[in-house]
Amino acid sequence: MSTYIIRRLLYTIPIVFGVLLLTFALFNVVGGDISFEIAGGTTTQQTIDEIRQEYGLDKPLFLSWDSQFVNHFKNALTFNFGRARDREPVIDKIKRGIGPSLAITAPMFLGVVLISVSLSLVIAFVRGTMWDMLAVVVCVTGMSVPYLSFILFGQYFLAYKWGLFPVFFSPDLSMARNVALPVLIGIAAGLGGNVRFYRTVMLDEMRSDYVRTAFAKGLSPQRVLFKHVLKNAMTPIITRVVLAIPFLFLGSLLLERFFGIPGLGYLMVEAIGSRDYPVISAMTYMSAILFVVFNLITDICYLLVDPRVRLE
Amino acid sequence: MERKAAVASLAVIAAYFALAGFIHIAEAFDWQIGPTLWRQQAGESYSPPGADNIFGTDIFGQSVLRKTLYGAKISITVALLASLISIAIGVPLGAIGGYFRGFVDEIIVWIYSTLSSVPYILLILAFAVVLRDRSIFGHKLTGITAVYLAIGLTSWVGICRLIRGEVIKHKNREYILAAISYGCSRRRIIFRHLLPNVFHLVIIDFSLRFVSFIHAEVILSFLGLGEANRPSWGAMINDARTELSRGVWWQMAAATAAIFVISLALNIFGDALRDSFDPKLRTRVERGS
Amino acid sequence: MTHYETRTRQAVVARQRRCGGVVIWIAAALAFSGCRDSARNEEPNEMVLHHVLHSKIKGLDPGCMRDVYSIMVASQIFETLYDYHFLKRPYELVALLAEDMPQVSADRLTYAMKIRKGVYFQDDACFPNGKGRELKAQDFVFSIKRIAGIEYISPNWSLFDDRIVGLDEFREYTKSCKNETDVDYARPVEGLMATDDYTLLIKLKKPWPQLVSAALADISTAPVAKEAVDYYGRDIISHPVGTGSFKLNVWRRDSYIELVRNTAFRGELYPSDGEFGDAEAGYLDDAGKPIPFADKVVWTVIEEYQPAWLLFLQGKVDATVVPKDSYGEVMTETGQLTSKMRHLDIQLKTFPDPSTFWLGFNMMDKVLGRNKPLRLAISRAIDRRKFIELFFNGRHLVAHGLIPPMMDCFDPQIEQKGYARCDLQEARELLMQAETTYGAKLPPLKIAMPGTDTWMRQYGQFLERQLNAIGLQVEVDYMDRPTFEEKLNNKGVQIFASGTTASIPDAIEFLSMFYSKHAPPGPNKFNYSNPEFDGLYEKAQVMPDCPERRELYRKMEIMVLEGCAAVFLNHRVAYVLHHDWYKNYKPHAFAYGLSKYRRVDLKKQAAYKELQKKAK
Repeated sequence: MSTYIIRRLLYTIPIVFGVLLLTFALFNVVGGDISFEIAGGTTTQQTIDEIRQEYGLDKPLFLSWDSQFVNHFKNALTFNFGRARDREPVIDKIKRGIGPSLAITAPMFLGVVLISVSLSLVIAFVRGTMWDMLAVVVCVTGMSVPYLSFILFGQYFLAYKWGLFPVFFSPDLSMARNVALPVLIGIAAGLGGNVRFYRTVMLDEMRSDYVRTAFAKGLSPQRVLFKHVLKNAMTPIITRVVLAIPFLFLGSLLLERFFGIPGLGYLMVEAIGSRDYPVISAMTYMSAILFVVFNLITDICYLLVDPRVRLE
Repeated sequence: MERKAAVASLAVIAAYFALAGFIHIAEAFDWQIGPTLWRQQAGESYSPPGADNIFGTDIFGQSVLRKTLYGAKISITVALLASLISIAIGVPLGAIGGYFRGFVDEIIVWIYSTLSSVPYILLILAFAVVLRDRSIFGHKLTGITAVYLAIGLTSWVGICRLIRGEVIKHKNREYILAAISYGCSRRRIIFRHLLPNVFHLVIIDFSLRFVSFIHAEVILSFLGLGEANRPSWGAMINDARTELSRGVWWQMAAATAAIFVISLALNIFGDALRDSFDPKLRTRVERGS
Repeated sequence: MTHYETRTRQAVVARQRRCGGVVIWIAAALAFSGCRDSARNEEPNEMVLHHVLHSKIKGLDPGCMRDVYSIMVASQIFETLYDYHFLKRPYELVALLAEDMPQVSADRLTYAMKIRKGVYFQDDACFPNGKGRELKAQDFVFSIKRIAGIEYISPNWSLFDDRIVGLDEFREYTKSCKNETDVDYARPVEGLMATDDYTLLIKLKKPWPQLVSAALADISTAPVAKEAVDYYGRDIISHPVGTGSFKLNVWRRDSYIELVRNTAFRGELYPSDGEFGDAEAGYLDDAGKPIPFADKVVWTVIEEYQPAWLLFLQGKVDATVVPKDSYGEVMTETGQLTSKMRHLDIQLKTFPDPSTFWLGFNMMDKVLGRNKPLRLAISRAIDRRKFIELFFNGRHLVAHGLIPPMMDCFDPQIEQKGYARCDLQEARELLMQAETTYGAKLPPLKIAMPGTDTWMRQYGQFLERQLNAIGLQVEVDYMDRPTFEEKLNNKGVQIFASGTTASIPDAIEFLSMFYSKHAPPGPNKFNYSNPEFDGLYEKAQVMPDCPERRELYRKMEIMVLEGCAAVFLNHRVAYVLHHDWYKNYKPHAFAYGLSKYRRVDLKKQAAYKELQKKAK
């Protein structure tokens, strides 16, 4: 088992390298020159050249020991993210953004998972009946409305017209008040797809032979559902849940942008818009590391939950 | 009952595609009819839905109905091209990786693992920003082209993984072993034998992915990418942000409805496809089982 | 158990699970609410000014700031040698940190200024014992040298490029230093010297009539204490140490800035004279009183206009601009405040600012550059009035020329000259001429727009419709700001939408955009090149304000209009609403450090809630 883990860990290295290469290529080679903007918009060619030199933009891209890519790589490995364009250390920006992002995504995630798993169990129980069909229709409906419409709708009615929630992030109010509406909208929008997914998972399990045997043996539906189906359905459930965790940190881009919540998703969109390369590269790198780590955790969970994997 | 729903969905999908195709042709031949006349002033600025304009008008007095119909062209085209690009990349790569294994497979897995480690929206934004204003084969890339290229280039991972998994499973089946034993070339094996057997998955994936691409166009419009010179559903919903505070709700309603109908149809149809291709994956459940 | 019973059991269990989920969520929410306490911790009788910023500020280091919002905040913390008089119009420069206006040599190359005595930096940890020390002339020398330093990468360097004797050589010297901290700021610069602790001497390479207004009144030359720079290093952007009436207390980067009264402030008095009509307007009620009045100044960052407007209506913000989509709520058709606004005692101030917006032409473009009829056709085709009505609620002024009306060289007859007339018939004729000049059917023209949001797209569509109406095909290209700037600098655009606001009451800024030596990356994005214009510009550049110079300015403006290098569209007029309790709010086009003059009538502010209830 430990060899398995070590092998998986080794696999992560080329992936992280790949991510660094990707961000570098995207934003340096093809991204364009920001020295004009740094120079203040109206300047002389000489100043622009001086800025390029200061930022190291005139160094060769790859083929030297001091190349831009090598520096990029070195910085990433030492977690030296440098300063953003407005001179604030990138790490401070990230630290600041994690709180608000999690304030939205964590409750949203918990809400969606708990509600959809529960609902899917209920649906599995009433499978085949009218309720099941109704549930499917509602889910598919939810999945068919664009996310942005959910947000606009929610913001317009619940906040603007009926005044139940603040329309926009206000530093005045407590965080809970500020994120209540985005979280609600996020849960509503996310339920459709999730309930459908878990329903499929549950139904697949319900159809398997061991369940039929269990019913034939005369076990009550509850026992079957909780003791057998749920446990066996854990594998795909865990996969989905654990792999979603890295994205929690990145915040919900749309919700943050819409409601002005100063989280990491917002930071990301702003950084891309202003070509704030240090910020973008830092966040991509961190998300890649998180993703890779949680992939590993998922695999380890498999090992624990599913004995068949151990034998592979 | 489910049969009827599936058939109805197919009809709706066909209608949307036909509309999109019609607009393409009408523009190519410069026919001035219906949706292509979206620029025409049909009423006062921001007039609400009424007798002469069923969906009302926008800031310039243009008919929202015409804009909505026109928007079908953009959304369907974007989603179609993005799907085709992702299939064109994902399927061959998945098949090659799954069949040959070894070093080639490792490279392919490395590529798609790297791509999936980067947040989806970031990738698309980055690609779209970067691809804008570049030229491919001398053909200048406009905003919307960059968008569907970006979506296609970042979405092939799912289908690639799927195909690869299936190919690995099928590789050791008897019919493949038989083909190898009587000397079929590898290319023939992959294309003539393996792929047809896994292709149903591609079709199912296609129909479900299509929905997500249509929705992606909306999000990308919000983020500032996408078609800006022609009406698109994403742009209409995006405009609603400021319009709603004036009480102008009809642009958003029309675009949302249009997206809703096609998404619903595709979802239902995709489910029906899945049920008919592979009984084991059936999501419909008979009573008593 | 019966089937029914098991089902209810099941449903109950499921519901319990769901409730469990909801309970967990509520608990999490409550937990999070504890994490952030309310930002409003104010004493009951404290006077607090509440403002809204529509964008995050980038930093509070005067040497490297260029964006309006940062300047708005920093101007309350830092002071400059000279500043504009709060009330007097036309705008007049007065000595702030200087004792008097500068003594200028006969050749106008040497400026000698006496620094006011008894000005202290705020108390800060960077000083020994935390006590702020007295301001000296050397601080100004240091601040300007710092801007020249190459490692500092200040966007304000272009202001001083090739102006002060010896400063460019100093900049060259800093290239040899590895870091900012290695730079020897004691190295003498001939044109920038403190002859004693209270005398500053500046020597210019050539006459610069705007030295005082554009540089010495600009936030970038606000004195910065070397102790602060050494102590904080690069973190100085969040640790401002100034001489002004307020100092920084709290800065939550994404959302909130709070300044408090600077207890070490030397003290100043509210002006006792102003413009004709100021006394009636109530601006002189506090004449002679010690300022600042407010104990705190607070800015909340709210990027969207709608929520900021709602906060204003609730009385939580003192002043706001009228959001485009709520205009009907505020103004009637006849241009008066609606009764709703009057019942809430809300005041309106209209304020034309010195700005011009245009559609610029790239004169080096193959299609547009040599085709004046084409450019004129575009100018005639655009209905500026309709544009202002659709996009600015009809508030702005049509731009008949380049120079905004509030400049003293503005030509009152410019409208009659008819450069901004909209005449579709003429436009079509000019278009036919243009085709003949071009020699073939005109290709679709590209318009570059600096943004992709709804407003920009509607603006672009408007232009498309106007030009299509005369038969001209255009392609509008929307891009984000960095791409837009890049394209402008690479001369890769045909037509572009842009504009500018003057930062000094001198029209030279507008005219410098057409000087051929200022080609990109300089401000001449039009690539306009006219030797006659250049000659006049070089003459006017070194002239002090006088009637001849005004004549030159007007001549240059006519040249630009005749050459049709741009289609000038509008001059902005701001409509600002403020509550009745917010006193001494007189809009000012150039000065930002005005919070020290504002006063809040606490009784009226407290009574606002009642007013709101009555108005419902």
